[in-house]
Amino acid sequence: MKPLKWLALFIIPLGLVIAAVPPNTAKPYKLTADQLLAEANTRTQYVTPDVVADMIVNKDPSLQLIDVRSQDEFEKYSLSGAINIPLTDLLSEKYTDILNQDVKMNVFYSNGTVTANEAWMLTRQLGYSNIYVLEGGLNFWFDSILNPQEPASTSPDEEFAKYDFRKSAGAVLGGGGAIQAQADQLSAASSPKPAITGAPKKKKVAGGC
Amino acid sequence: MIARLHDKKTITMGPLVTNGIISENLNLFLAFIIGIGFGFVLEQSGFSSSRKLAGIFYGYDTVVLKVFFTGAITCMLGLLFFSLFGWIDLSLVYINPTYLTSAIVGGIIMGAGFIIGGYCPGTSFCGAAIGKLDGLIFVGGLFIGVLIFGLGYKLWEGLYMAKNLGSPKISSVLGLSDGIFALLLILAALAMFWAAEWAEKKFPREEY
Repeated sequence: MKPLKWLALFIIPLGLVIAAVPPNTAKPYKLTADQLLAEANTRTQYVTPDVVADMIVNKDPSLQLIDVRSQDEFEKYSLSGAINIPLTDLLSEKYTDILNQDVKMNVFYSNGTVTANEAWMLTRQLGYSNIYVLEGGLNFWFDSILNPQEPASTSPDEEFAKYDFRKSAGAVLGGGGAIQAQADQLSAASSPKPAITGAPKKKKVAGGC
Repeated sequence: MIARLHDKKTITMGPLVTNGIISENLNLFLAFIIGIGFGFVLEQSGFSSSRKLAGIFYGYDTVVLKVFFTGAITCMLGLLFFSLFGWIDLSLVYINPTYLTSAIVGGIIMGAGFIIGGYCPGTSFCGAAIGKLDGLIFVGGLFIGVLIFGLGYKLWEGLYMAKNLGSPKISSVLGLSDGIFALLLILAALAMFWAAEWAEKKFPREEY
């Protein structure tokens, strides 16, 4: 038999098979239950309020806050720059582009952390990367950023640095600390805007395919 | 805390370098090995002879058409089946973007160079590697062309960057599934191979 016929005998059936089967649209890198459990156990999905506050204040373009509470709750109060994707609409196609990307850092938040963690699990399961959860949710946000407690006088310096940062960040972000900070400033007669001090160092979102 | 961005261990499929399964350096090394294999096959198939290559334009030797179409179809079927088996994510495979104007102009220059010089860029290196004088001169010309393009880039930048179509696939432009288009391409290639063999009989040349 001629080589051309051999070739035809080989590639035409392969062509027929590939034309007959539907294309593989399955999401390639889903996590297995084991992998997800390992991630959940290491708690690497959490971002502290300090990091988020610093990013908001510095208008870091890589931050994408996502409010997974209901629209009502979102309208009543939300973090600045956040978008609302209620958990019930999480899998809606119109949000795929926002969730499935590797440029920004998507930070889910809810009142506590349960709803945000549910969203995190679902999206990680789909293989999306750069998904984080605001540690402690909005409740902890109020406690730590908007109403920081002054550390005991015996606390280490880092605690004071953290407190100063939280107080000034809270002032910018419109928390109860603002009054205190302004009072401090009036007495010190410094610049009219509270300066952000002692911001924790943050790592840059890098990489991508 | 934000260090874990891409958990690359969770990805167990191609493209190997994009998914972080192999390093950039290993990728380059593999490219080197594959390159040696490619050059070896080119030389062994007679692609270092400009007379053999030019035969495609006259019909007496159509090895160019057969080798490249067989290569393309093998690759196409391989990628489609690999995707079917979940071994590669086709959405991560780089597709060279189409700049329509420069594709047409470049195609004309390349075609003219092919029929005048008897080589395409890759095969000219093949010829030069075994010491063919025409191959060496072709490679020299290639570098002169690269220099002219690079130094005069400002002059043809507009032409070069015009009509960027992105990375369209013929199958999606025609509204066909990749599989159906693959089958049609296979049939078209076999028809061309048949016509090529007919041409080789019709316009034979004894020695070249």
